[in-house]
Amino acid sequence: MATGGGAYKFADLFKERLGVSIDKEDEMDCLVAGANFLLKAIRHEAFTHMEGHKEFVQIDHNDLFPYLLVNVGSGVSMIKVDGDGKFQRVSGTNVGGGTYWGLGRLLTKCNSFDELLELSQRGDNRTIDMLVGDIYGGMDYSKIGLSASTIASSFGKAISDKKELEDHRPEDISLSLLRMISYNIGQELIIRIRLNVLLELCSRIILPKRAILAIFFRFLRRISYLNALRFGLKRIFFGGFFIRGHAYTMDTISFAVHFWSQGQAQAMFLRHEGFLGALGAFMSYEKLGLDDLMVHQLVERFPMGAPYTGGKIHGPPLGNLNEKATLVLLLDLTLHFVWVQLQISWMEKFVLKGTEITAPVPMAPPGTTGLGGFEVPSSKGGTLRSDASALNVGVLHLVPTLEVFPLLANPKMYEPNTIDLSDHCELEYWFTVLSEHLPDLVDKDLMKELPPFPKKREKGNSPCVHWPYENNHEAVASEGGTDDAKRRGDAFARAFSAHLARLMEEPAAYGKLGLANLLELREECLREFQFLDAYRSIKQRENEVSLAVLPDLLMELDRMDEEARLLTLIEGVLAANIFDWGSRACVDLYHKGTIIDIYRMSRNKMQRPWRVDDFDLFRERMLGSEGKKPRPHKRALLFVDNSGADVVLGMLPLARELLRRGTEVVLVANSLPALNDVTAMELPDIVAEAAKHCDILRRAAEAGGLLVDAMTNTLDGSKENCSSVPLMVVENGCGSPCIDLRQVSSELASAAKHADLIILEGMGRALHTNFNARFKCEALKLAMVKNQRLAEKLIKGEIYDCVCRYEPAS
Amino acid sequence: MDHLAHVSNQPNSQPQSQISHLALDIGGSLIKLVYFCRYDDNCRDDDELRSQNESLGSESDNSRPVLGGKLHFAKFETSKINDCLEFIHSMKLHLGGFHDCTAPSSDKIFIKATGGGAYKFADLFKEKLGVSLDKEDEMECLVTGANFLLKAVHQEAFTYLDGQKEFAQIDPNDLYPYLLVNIGSGVSMIKVDGDGKFERVSGTSLGGGTFWGLGRLLTKCKNFDELLELSHQGNNRVIDMLVGDIYGGTDYAKIGLSATTIASSFGKAISDNKGLVDYKPEDISRSLLRMISNNIGQISYLNALRFGLKRIFFAGFFIRGHAYTMDTISVAVNFWSKGEAEAMFLRHEGFLGALGAFMSYEKQCLDGLTVNKIPQRFPISVSSAGNKIYCSMNGKSNDNESIECTV
Repeated sequence: MATGGGAYKFADLFKERLGVSIDKEDEMDCLVAGANFLLKAIRHEAFTHMEGHKEFVQIDHNDLFPYLLVNVGSGVSMIKVDGDGKFQRVSGTNVGGGTYWGLGRLLTKCNSFDELLELSQRGDNRTIDMLVGDIYGGMDYSKIGLSASTIASSFGKAISDKKELEDHRPEDISLSLLRMISYNIGQELIIRIRLNVLLELCSRIILPKRAILAIFFRFLRRISYLNALRFGLKRIFFGGFFIRGHAYTMDTISFAVHFWSQGQAQAMFLRHEGFLGALGAFMSYEKLGLDDLMVHQLVERFPMGAPYTGGKIHGPPLGNLNEKATLVLLLDLTLHFVWVQLQISWMEKFVLKGTEITAPVPMAPPGTTGLGGFEVPSSKGGTLRSDASALNVGVLHLVPTLEVFPLLANPKMYEPNTIDLSDHCELEYWFTVLSEHLPDLVDKDLMKELPPFPKKREKGNSPCVHWPYENNHEAVASEGGTDDAKRRGDAFARAFSAHLARLMEEPAAYGKLGLANLLELREECLREFQFLDAYRSIKQRENEVSLAVLPDLLMELDRMDEEARLLTLIEGVLAANIFDWGSRACVDLYHKGTIIDIYRMSRNKMQRPWRVDDFDLFRERMLGSEGKKPRPHKRALLFVDNSGADVVLGMLPLARELLRRGTEVVLVANSLPALNDVTAMELPDIVAEAAKHCDILRRAAEAGGLLVDAMTNTLDGSKENCSSVPLMVVENGCGSPCIDLRQVSSELASAAKHADLIILEGMGRALHTNFNARFKCEALKLAMVKNQRLAEKLIKGEIYDCVCRYEPAS
Repeated sequence: MDHLAHVSNQPNSQPQSQISHLALDIGGSLIKLVYFCRYDDNCRDDDELRSQNESLGSESDNSRPVLGGKLHFAKFETSKINDCLEFIHSMKLHLGGFHDCTAPSSDKIFIKATGGGAYKFADLFKEKLGVSLDKEDEMECLVTGANFLLKAVHQEAFTYLDGQKEFAQIDPNDLYPYLLVNIGSGVSMIKVDGDGKFERVSGTSLGGGTFWGLGRLLTKCKNFDELLELSHQGNNRVIDMLVGDIYGGTDYAKIGLSATTIASSFGKAISDNKGLVDYKPEDISRSLLRMISNNIGQISYLNALRFGLKRIFFAGFFIRGHAYTMDTISVAVNFWSKGEAEAMFLRHEGFLGALGAFMSYEKQCLDGLTVNKIPQRFPISVSSAGNKIYCSMNGKSNDNESIECTV
């Protein structure tokens, strides 16, 4: 499927070279289909851009239509979109991107469009444009609302005899051109909108006789002037190559729209706008059923290997912008966006590349948010390249098993991130934190301690291949100590640093960015460099040590009365949460003492009241007051955090307590490793080990089907065992220390259906994300704050302060 | 016409009383002058004008009630304001202002002026000529001038389509509302509802200044008229990207775009193979002219539609009676309005503001002055060799046409 004028022009060439017929799709159809898809399917696809600041906009897709799509390509088309497949080209102008680039080339000798745009940022249009102030001797023409700096005549100063083309700076020329064209587009747009609203109003009302028509018309016009933009159209989206992520163009367009609409309208942009047409053509393959896609099923991944820095242009300079094709490829449920230079030579290369592209690529394990991998075709050669614009465009993975967590009180308003990194100070801080943390990830000391990893793994093995379980040394650099691992470690450090630097420069490079995304980016990056589970050996060591002391802890607990036990359990969860390799402060602690030492120290510091302390509320819910016994919970979802003491000495005893009260327990763990977080794959083994020392856990685990080996033993005594409520483990669908509850595994979603208590544990899941989330059922958020800044910001406290927040169902 | 020569030939030869009034419109690119000469003293300047302009048709066949005379028009480039000052001085035009009625003894002379330059150059006029500029609002002057011309001058407005000029009969009682589009350096669009009743509804910075500025940079043309002239022989298909270029020669019929519609002005210039020198200045000029005319036509039409206006009058020095410009604008308006709106042009297109400023004397102490009848007809296409030394934008002779009138 193809679209664009070239679909007609090059149809024969495609036939001849590739032996395929091009199914020509209408260009407008495709643009609209593409835009509708993007706006519905990708969260934070749209953003506004004012004075260099991007702000992502969350759009409710029930509230999307009608909108105006302004495609600024060579020329400009303005399309009013009323729904899927329902649209109308309302206007257009021949002064568009082609005019900018065409005139710009003639006037400046720039060799590429991007170069020309780049120039404009350093330009001063006052040397060429005639401003109102130039005519009025520096004064405003205030009577009609024109300020001295308003452009009265574009290029109006160039009429002076004194200066020739060579005497003008190319920068100034470029800026004048850019403003001329952007303002003109903004103006035509706003007049058009006002006009359309007016006409629409007229058509809706049966027109009275001509005599009153004039008065009526005036009245309508007044309305259209005042709320035209709100009445007629919800939003205005800009796309097309003229815009394509260029900050300065977006600013100029935004300003123009703001200016002409007197602040009533706002220009919005799309991150994938360059692909609208190709995506739309793609959507027309009806059999794919892409139109049913839900936003929560799409996960965007960025190729980690080669971030684009500084908006520099990679690959050959842009030639003929018009003859630039975009490809959207669907490979193993991933959508790839590729820019292709459409030249004769390209055609030949494409024929070659075409076969490469369709070769199988590594695929994400189903049910997870996916692996990064090197499957991006753009990395395969100079001819196919990713867009070098200011915004990075990732690969869209379709993960049909992902769902919205059903217990969110208000899924539409839900925002996982507690900290928005669009605040530059905040970004800078976390940037530093993550940068400093890098050496720990590729810890040279650890590398030396651990025996070298047998070199049996060749590069190119599918990431799906799992390490032999006996290998307990593929921690951080463990895999280790080998040159290959070192090389990859260094490569990872470099790549991730580059991504961070890119982010510092353009915080919106990867779409809307929260801390959760940033942390996830790191995990993605690690995975991409084949560090599938950097903390594996550390996790196992800690699990073993913790499991060894678990029986003592359980005995101690069993000696207490119910009330003291509950407090001790919560204290235990908070104290054990100190074992977090994601926290710099904790990593320092590890280097000083043993796990048990730290745990004891941590326990001793557990003095109530905690910084956020809803324990009394929770206790009352659990144990009741004045002799009234409340009904136990039916099912609790426990979102666990770290391996080792955290899960073994903290969450498992709490789960045991709930089980003892007759509450079904579902342990929710990561699908993929992230830092030292326990994964859903590892949990059954830990539970099995713990069950050896505890009857309650054993019976519950059996009921929940966790103890597969033990099944034979329990078959005879199944009657009494069945009395226990089950303990289950489900994966959450993530591979990040944080959790975005808009995209969880379908398993978790179905497990959540009967749950009436959610316990979120740890910084990533309870503080960085979901701290402000509200649920349809009761929720308990437990975490120790292991970061001074976060403590100050979130709870006005200190490092190692604890959060115990209990929220009744909302 | 060589004013300098002309002026120097007749230094101080004009009795002061001949010049009654002078008004100025000082824009971003041009200064427009309107001055009134009485018949009584048999203005020689007038004779000369007549002879040089072949047939200005100034022989009068109607009565002169009180005070007969002619309105003269002249223009200068704003950048050469000193020429203008010299002209005014040598013609003693600056004495044709009005004296402050409240202080008759003082030598304070006011000259009506409008346009941004009335503010910018006020000090210069004071210093060089000893006159104060009495500033009139630009939009108001444009509207007053347009209303005056449309009501008082016979066959002032005309339509232009497919090379056919047709004078419009405008009933002064059915004039309003209309849209006035003044294309100077920039463009102002004014909705006019009556005398003094108007609103500037829109404007664009893509105007005459853009055409001339970009044209100068791209073609090395030395004057505006030369650039306009070039566009005659040009072919915009060389540079503009047409719908047909994108769709392999076919129309994009679904949305009603024919193959020859310009999809992107200068869109073909993005090709790597050609540099500025490879394009003919004629083609560049043509593309530029179409880009700007089209754009103005479109925005004007949109505004007319928005306010339910049927008539759009185009004025300003960008047009200067140039056939292709008017054709492009007409086609644009016609195209966008599907024939419902009509583009009209004014013969005295460039002098609306100056005329308006001139009319504003009426309101001041010269209570006796009323222009009640303008019987004049002018041949529009008077050819004249523009004198390059003096006024580079002097292509058509409109600038020195005069209107006979009685006061």
